[in-house]
Amino acid sequence: MNVLRRRSLAFWAGLAAAVASLLTPIALDDSQLTVYVFIGLSAIVVAGLSLLMGFAGQVSLGQAAFYAIGAYTAAILTRMLNVPTLLSLAIATAFTGAVAMVVGLPLLRLRGHYLAFATLAFQLIVLSAIGEFRGLTGGDTGMPGIPTLSIGPLAIQGQYRTFIYAYVTWVLVAAVMLLNRNLVRSRPGRGLRALATSEAGALAAGVPVVRYKLQVFALSAAYAGLAGGIYAFFVSYIAPGSFPVLLSVQFLIMAVVGGLGSIWGSTVGATVVYLLVQLLQSLGTGPGLPLQLPAILSYAVYGLVLVLIMLFLPQGLLPAIQGWISSQRAISAVEAPARSTPLD
Amino acid sequence: MTLFLQYALSGVATGCTFALVATGFVVIYRVSRVVNFAQGIFAVIAGMATSSLLSRGVPHGLAEALAVVLAALVGLVVGIIALGRRGTPPLASLIITLGLGIGSYAAIIMAWGDQPVSFTGLPGLARAGGVSIQYQFLLVVVVTAITFGLLSLFFDHTYLGKGLTACSSNPYAARLVGIDVHRMGLLAFTLGGALGGLAGVLITPLQPVSFDSDVGIAINGFAAAIFGGLLRPGTALVGALVLGVAEALVAGYYRASFESGVALVVMLGLMVWQASRRSPAVEEEMV
Amino acid sequence: MLEVDNLVVRYGQATALDGVSLRVERGEMVALVGPNGAGKSTLLNTISGLITPAEGSYRVTGRLAQVPEGRQLFANMTVEDNLRLGAWRVRDRDCRRIYDLFPQLGGLRHRLAGTLSGGEQQMVAVGRALMAQPDLLAVDELSLGLAPRVVDTLAEHLVQLNRETGMAILLVEQNARLALELCPRAYVLEAGRIAVSGTSEELSRTAAVRAAYLGGAADEIVGSPNQP
Repeated sequence: MNVLRRRSLAFWAGLAAAVASLLTPIALDDSQLTVYVFIGLSAIVVAGLSLLMGFAGQVSLGQAAFYAIGAYTAAILTRMLNVPTLLSLAIATAFTGAVAMVVGLPLLRLRGHYLAFATLAFQLIVLSAIGEFRGLTGGDTGMPGIPTLSIGPLAIQGQYRTFIYAYVTWVLVAAVMLLNRNLVRSRPGRGLRALATSEAGALAAGVPVVRYKLQVFALSAAYAGLAGGIYAFFVSYIAPGSFPVLLSVQFLIMAVVGGLGSIWGSTVGATVVYLLVQLLQSLGTGPGLPLQLPAILSYAVYGLVLVLIMLFLPQGLLPAIQGWISSQRAISAVEAPARSTPLD
Repeated sequence: MTLFLQYALSGVATGCTFALVATGFVVIYRVSRVVNFAQGIFAVIAGMATSSLLSRGVPHGLAEALAVVLAALVGLVVGIIALGRRGTPPLASLIITLGLGIGSYAAIIMAWGDQPVSFTGLPGLARAGGVSIQYQFLLVVVVTAITFGLLSLFFDHTYLGKGLTACSSNPYAARLVGIDVHRMGLLAFTLGGALGGLAGVLITPLQPVSFDSDVGIAINGFAAAIFGGLLRPGTALVGALVLGVAEALVAGYYRASFESGVALVVMLGLMVWQASRRSPAVEEEMV
Repeated sequence: MLEVDNLVVRYGQATALDGVSLRVERGEMVALVGPNGAGKSTLLNTISGLITPAEGSYRVTGRLAQVPEGRQLFANMTVEDNLRLGAWRVRDRDCRRIYDLFPQLGGLRHRLAGTLSGGEQQMVAVGRALMAQPDLLAVDELSLGLAPRVVDTLAEHLVQLNRETGMAILLVEQNARLALELCPRAYVLEAGRIAVSGTSEELSRTAAVRAAYLGGAADEIVGSPNQP
């Protein structure tokens, strides 16, 4: 009886959020719609990153690199090879996943902190490469003139351009979240969860640890590539400067805040952090305020958020709230027991 | 040939600074199993602090020493926060050090602004056999050699140093014997801070630092550290020198902009090579 | 010396110790026997201060040192370093009395602990614990992985120490025969609870204990000077 009530609450809450987010674009003006789109794109990237960190236990500091690869692939295909945009998007997504497969094959054998540095290095290399191959990518000055996304014969442009992009993003976010949910509940998903709790245990239970880690890594990259492609079509001009290391950190913060491995958490995290960043930007800019203030505020808040969440709410915001609600209702939490070793 | 020697010697000098940063990584990792993403920040803070102190009339030598002490204190603070409560898993600590590194950007910009900072080190050139090398380079090498000597004395011949080694060798047994592993972790972080600070003090006269220089410094230090699997400082020293010289040669003979790429490629190459030697299953701890 | 009162220790949802009470008096040798997974090591780690109990209490009067299961040496450090580190809590780091007790270690003092044989390592482990000048020595699975003759020698040393210095010993063992032979009093720990306790003589006569831990042998164990 109790379990049924709890599931209903989560169900209704999720439904309400879905409907609310579906209706929100109607009430937004153009610049707010742009924020909506960026939040959505971040949510897609973070959905993958959250899966990677929550289940494969790997820290990636280079998701922005996959975001960039997706963006540049889509841009190059459409602008230079006149490939239709939807097809380019599909290819970009698949290609980014493939790159991750290749890169991850040697690297995922390493411990988490090696991968953290490795993904950072990967991002720096990708950014350099983009700058180097000027003929293909436009180099450091970037690539303008990327055509907009066309669904069939209909190109998304005109007065309602951002509005339609907002809905495209909504659909993709929903799709990605559904995919994650099905993945987590499937047999490989259970294997993944075993992996998250104990690699040795999962290995002993016959879970193909390396293969799963690789697949999750590739999937998270594919998500990022997909989002990157949409980004390219949306902003129509990309440059290496659009994908700094700080963006990877931002994705990381969103994942951590939302809750690693939590399906809704990635979206919640993306929304909270992005809006927070916007708030800081507007607080920091103004007449008479030092030019560096937005940067100072952003860095300070990034740092503070990361540290505080990891110390006090390591499971993330959403699971923490869910837990609090459960305990308030005095329903015994069905959360997994904290993994404690004899020497804690 | 003399051009080669010039490049090589300057590479040795920068390699020495990498070695100091790398040893910071190693000391902290050995004792606490945490990879300290803020390792580069210690160098930046020390470099900038030295510049400020010098501009206020504090004499050379004292300014650098105070800056290193400051970096050590910052290391201690990072350690306190990163090691957190008992039972904080190492990956969480890694993210915390990352957060602290980014947070300190804010502090650094507030204190010193966002522009690069430098100061003059030991002026003048030494000449021998057609090769001229800045005195600052020589200073770097000498100080690094002395530091490594002191470190080996500390770890191999003092009781406290052996206690630290015990923590990394067998943390359970260390606890049984009465060693406060948490406190040793803090000591390791303080030492790591001092080492990073020393690196910063030595490198800033050669290469101006700004608030985000820590990434490059950390990458170089980490690349050197993994030569020894993050566990052996001697091997890290060798790796650091190789890296420094390689970068100097690449910058000199090819293009300066490729210099940073060397560290990245070396690091990734090393990681891939080390990974292929391990079994793909769960990694065992190397002691 | 050691007083354990209704100790409860949990790992997450699992209960490792479920209300354990026992005592060791000054100068006593007490055995704690039981099967694998009964919670013997958990008990030792708790009284060594490494684990916080969920309920109940324990009190150690004086110094306690543990010889852990599986030796747990600092493998990449020398024998001498291992011994000296044992004295972390006390001032006196002089290893001579350990070399007096275990003469073989004197010759091995500069060898890396990880390169020694099982028996030699166990000597180092015991020596390391003794360096702390404990009033109570807790020994976890002394006999594990060692040849009987080696175990005998070590056991003799422990008995001698107990007799000469009055150091109490808590001997935790799967090998119940050995434990009951050495210690006049014993507890049996099963699934986190003290199942039976009493003098070793009584226990060795108890049918249940005999069946479970002593191979059901008909002869008396206590009093026989040699192990078969």
